[in-house]
Amino acid sequence: MSVTNKITVKRAEIAVAVILALCSIALMIKSAENRITWNAEENMGAGFLPFYLSLGMLICTVLTIIKFVLKRSPQSKDNSPFIEAEAFKYIAVTIISLIILVLAIGYLGIYFSLIFFLAFYLRYFSSKSVLFISVFSLITPVLTFLFFEWLLKIPLPQGISEPLFYPVYDFMYS
Amino acid sequence: MDVFILLLEGIFVSFEPLNLGLLIFGCLIGLFVGAMPGLGSVNGVAILIPITFIIPPTAAIIFLAAVYYGAMYGGAISSVMLGIPGASTAVATVFDGRPLAVKGEAMTALTAAAVGSFVGGTVSVILFTLFAPPLAEVALRFNAPETFALMVMAFATFVGLGGDDVPKTIFSILIGLALSTIGLDLITGKPRLIFFNIPGFLHGINFLVLAIGIYGIGEMLWTLEETKGKVQMSKLSVNMKEVGRAFGALKKTIMAMNIGSFLGFFVGILPAAGATPASLMSYGITKQLSKNSKEFGSGVPAGVVAPECANNSASTGSMLPMLTLGIPGSPTTAILLGGMILWGLTPGPLLFTQEPEFVWGLIGSLYIANFFTLVLNIALIPAFLMVLRIPFAILAPVIFVLCVTGGYAPTQSLHDVWLMLLFGFAGYILRKLDYPVAPAVLSIVLGPLAEKALRQSLILSDGSMGIFFDMAEKPIAAIIMYIAIVLLIMPAFGPLYRKFFKKAQTT
Repeated sequence: MSVTNKITVKRAEIAVAVILALCSIALMIKSAENRITWNAEENMGAGFLPFYLSLGMLICTVLTIIKFVLKRSPQSKDNSPFIEAEAFKYIAVTIISLIILVLAIGYLGIYFSLIFFLAFYLRYFSSKSVLFISVFSLITPVLTFLFFEWLLKIPLPQGISEPLFYPVYDFMYS
Repeated sequence: MDVFILLLEGIFVSFEPLNLGLLIFGCLIGLFVGAMPGLGSVNGVAILIPITFIIPPTAAIIFLAAVYYGAMYGGAISSVMLGIPGASTAVATVFDGRPLAVKGEAMTALTAAAVGSFVGGTVSVILFTLFAPPLAEVALRFNAPETFALMVMAFATFVGLGGDDVPKTIFSILIGLALSTIGLDLITGKPRLIFFNIPGFLHGINFLVLAIGIYGIGEMLWTLEETKGKVQMSKLSVNMKEVGRAFGALKKTIMAMNIGSFLGFFVGILPAAGATPASLMSYGITKQLSKNSKEFGSGVPAGVVAPECANNSASTGSMLPMLTLGIPGSPTTAILLGGMILWGLTPGPLLFTQEPEFVWGLIGSLYIANFFTLVLNIALIPAFLMVLRIPFAILAPVIFVLCVTGGYAPTQSLHDVWLMLLFGFAGYILRKLDYPVAPAVLSIVLGPLAEKALRQSLILSDGSMGIFFDMAEKPIAAIIMYIAIVLLIMPAFGPLYRKFFKKAQTT
């Protein structure tokens, strides 16, 4: 049995409900760092709203868990895979490549990271030629640069590649 | 007469070169966004909002409204040609649009969709013009208690009319509200929910981060899973004879146009509803009332016209509460409302008196956008079909690039990009488990406004919640609150009603 078959909708439903309940409790504890009381003299404490909103979230997740236990929700009876094996490949590779992209942006800067991201993604998922992938992966960051830095005047993160852009800025603003 | 003059001025505003250029560009982008499976108006508007920061608010709203509008038209293209709805708003269009395409009558389906959208759009924008000013005038008398009551009603509508699992819907509303409390407390100035002392949380969570995460990253993951990049396109022959025949087939769709236009507008006004339920309801009612109801589903033009009329009409209808009350009528208008705050405007009835150029420029642009979208839609069908042939494996990374850059641009902080990814992944998983995500987006936009109204009201009442239920002092707030309570408890009566109905049927 593959991993994707083991993670059924039923299991995902209860796991997510429990995780959300724990997150709600964490939010309540965090909110309680501020005053969570409210009365006419003192008005509303800074932690009052987030605390009671988190409490509401917790109640909702408990209700979801009760519905699951009583088999009242469609998910509680669904033993089909949460993600099909074929789709899992698409989703997993996409999520991992996006995380690596954002990590790389902080170090390499956005433009070089985009080149690697696009080249990898297209090579992995599409059947396009190396020439197409190379041109596409280079043109997209160039257009992104022109759009944000030249047209919108919004600087995007450049990381260690920043000095490479100085001549371009000299040209743009001279 | 006043309305007519203001409308004319608005139309002139939308004819200014920058506004007109952006309007046409917005219609084109909207058509494209709507046509692509997995992308809809809400995704387009969320991803494109950061690029509106350098243009005046009027031009920005005209551009984004045109994207919204165009996407309603464009959704039908992939519904008909691929059998995959371009967006949830075009789900009902597949029911008869796809069978028409399979029968070789794709042009009839596409023309019916375009004309239906035009009629729905035109009727609704006329209704909008008539209803908006008096509603804004009433709303001008609203103070903090009435504003808060309205927001509670907006949240309650999701619970009462959303049709989703009640605890999951309420959870979605509450998490959006909780996320909106992150940052500095607006009264005491104390930092709230600053996780791990990360300074990025001090400026709060921008609604765009959640919107792009859910509707950009999350939606693309969803579509990647659904399609796996495989689509099957129908054949289409485009010539004047086909177009003429397609127009001829529309004679039998007058009833569908009427139902779609009026029903769509009024359903669109409701915060929880929007274009998707409007189009499904319109399809269902048209089918029920039609003499040929048995033919629905096998490819009848009325089955395409009804949902297309309704989704366009609802998209205009959903702007009515956004402009007059400051309450969005759909996820897309929730993002537009957030955009207004970013552009430095205060959403609500004051816009009509303080920013008439903005309001009437938008209303005027809806008339113009409707016309341009119809023309562009029919003229560019071959071009859109070429676009639809772009493999998803190429389109998806481009959307991801737009999401990452769009998530970074507003605050220029990588912290927000990480949050956006987190919300995208979480949104994808939650959506798979039937947690509605739209209420969370609505809540994060309305959260700060609701908190301000609540706290102002409580200061007015010396801390008494009775201010929201006082029929003598605050009758409007009280009535709205009681409606909200009815909406909140309505789902509890669903099983009882079904039980009673079943019993009545058996006896």
